Amino acid sequence: MAKHSPVIGRYVTIDVDGYEYKVFYLRNGSGVPLVCQHTAGCHNHQWRGLLEDESITSRYDVIAYDLARHGKSDPPLNKEWWKEEYVLTARHYMNFIIALCDALELDRPIFMGSSFGGNVALQLALHHPDKFRAVIPVEAAEHAPGFYLDWWRHPHANAAQVCASGVWDLMAPQSPDMDRWLTWHYYTQGSEAFKGDLFFYSVDHDLRGKLGNIDTRRCPVIMMTGTYDYLTPPEATENTARQIPGGIYIEMEDIGHFPMSENYPLFAVYLKEALRLIEART
Amino acid sequence: MVMSVRDWAVRFGEASDRDPTIGAMARYFTCRYLWDMGTQKVIVDVRDGKVHSINTEPQPLDAYDFALRASPATWREFAKPVPEPMYHGIWSASFRRDLKIEGNILVMMQNLRNFTVQFELLRKVGVPV
Repeated sequence: MAKHSPVIGRYVTIDVDGYEYKVFYLRNGSGVPLVCQHTAGCHNHQWRGLLEDESITSRYDVIAYDLARHGKSDPPLNKEWWKEEYVLTARHYMNFIIALCDALELDRPIFMGSSFGGNVALQLALHHPDKFRAVIPVEAAEHAPGFYLDWWRHPHANAAQVCASGVWDLMAPQSPDMDRWLTWHYYTQGSEAFKGDLFFYSVDHDLRGKLGNIDTRRCPVIMMTGTYDYLTPPEATENTARQIPGGIYIEMEDIGHFPMSENYPLFAVYLKEALRLIEART
Repeated sequence: MVMSVRDWAVRFGEASDRDPTIGAMARYFTCRYLWDMGTQKVIVDVRDGKVHSINTEPQPLDAYDFALRASPATWREFAKPVPEPMYHGIWSASFRRDLKIEGNILVMMQNLRNFTVQFELLRKVGVPV
C-alpha cells in the first residue's frame, strides 16, 4: 500500500501591487490557521516536519507557502522580471503575505517565519496587527545587517554551493546530519533569489526605534532564537523582544538559524510552548 | 599535550583524503590556503580533492590563495568535537569572534562546499596549537 503523506499542495493566483503570482502552498491540519514562511533563498519544504506533526496539525491548519521566485512559486507572470534585478522590499513582502491570507480566506492566522520570515513577522505585527492573531518571529531581530553580499550570485563561483555552504554554519553542529544536508540541498535550489531576499533582510528591514509601537494586545509577539545562530544571535533577539511592550523571548538551546528544518523534533518543543503562550493570550 | 605540526599534517591529510563527503565531489576542488593559528602556520595545497602537500614551515614569500587567521584559543575551540556557539564555523567565527578571512576570497567561494567539510575535520583531527 502506498505511503501517502496527508500534506496537500495547491496553487493559488494572487495580485500583489500589480504583480501576478501563482503561489504554491502546502497544507495539512485543521483549526487555527498557522501560516509559515521559509527562510531567504529557500522554500516551503523547510516546514516538512511541522506539516506532518499530528500533535500540531490536529489543532492547527498549517499552511507553508513558497514566496514568489522560490520553490514552485514562479516569478510574476505578467512582468518581464528577467530584465530587472530582484530586490524584495518590506512593503511588497507584507502585501504578498496579506494577499495570500485573504485569497485563502484565513481568519486572523498566526504568522510564523524564520530569518527573513521572522523579520517580516515583526513588520506585520507593527503595520498589520489586526490581520494576525499573533506572530512568531523565529531567528529575527530589529535589524540584521551584513548579509546582503555579492557572493550569493557571483558569476565566477558556483552560486548553488556558495549559498548552501555559506549558510551551513547557521546550523548547530548537534543537529542531525541528514537534516543539515537536506537544508543544504534546499539551499542549492534558491541562489538566484537569495541575494534579493537579503535586501529585505539586511537593508530594508530596520525597526530600530519603532519596536515600542508594536501593540501586543492586538497581536502578541513570541520570538524564538537558537543559540548557534551567528547572524541573529540570541542577544540580538532578546534585545529586540525587550523593546516590544509585552514581547516574549524564548531561547532555543543547541539549535541554529533553520530550526524547523535542521532539527524539527527539538524545534517542536519550543514551538508548542509558543503556541501555548498564544492560546493563553487570545 | 599539543601534537606536533608534522603529526597534525599527516593526520589531517589522511583524514581529508579518505573523507567520503569530500570524495563525493572531489573533482576540481583545488586551492591553496594558509591557516594562521598564531603560534603555528600551515599552507595546505589541495588538488582535485586530495591533499597534495602541507607546508608546515611557511616562509614569508610562500604563496597561497586565501588565509584564515585567528588566535590559538579560537583554533582550539574549532577543534572541539562539538564547538561552542560562534566557534562552529568560519562564517560564525568571522562574524562574531576573532577569525579573519583574507586573500583571494573568490577562490574560497569557488571551493566552499569542500573547504567547509575539510575545515570541520579539525573536530576529529585536532589542531597543533
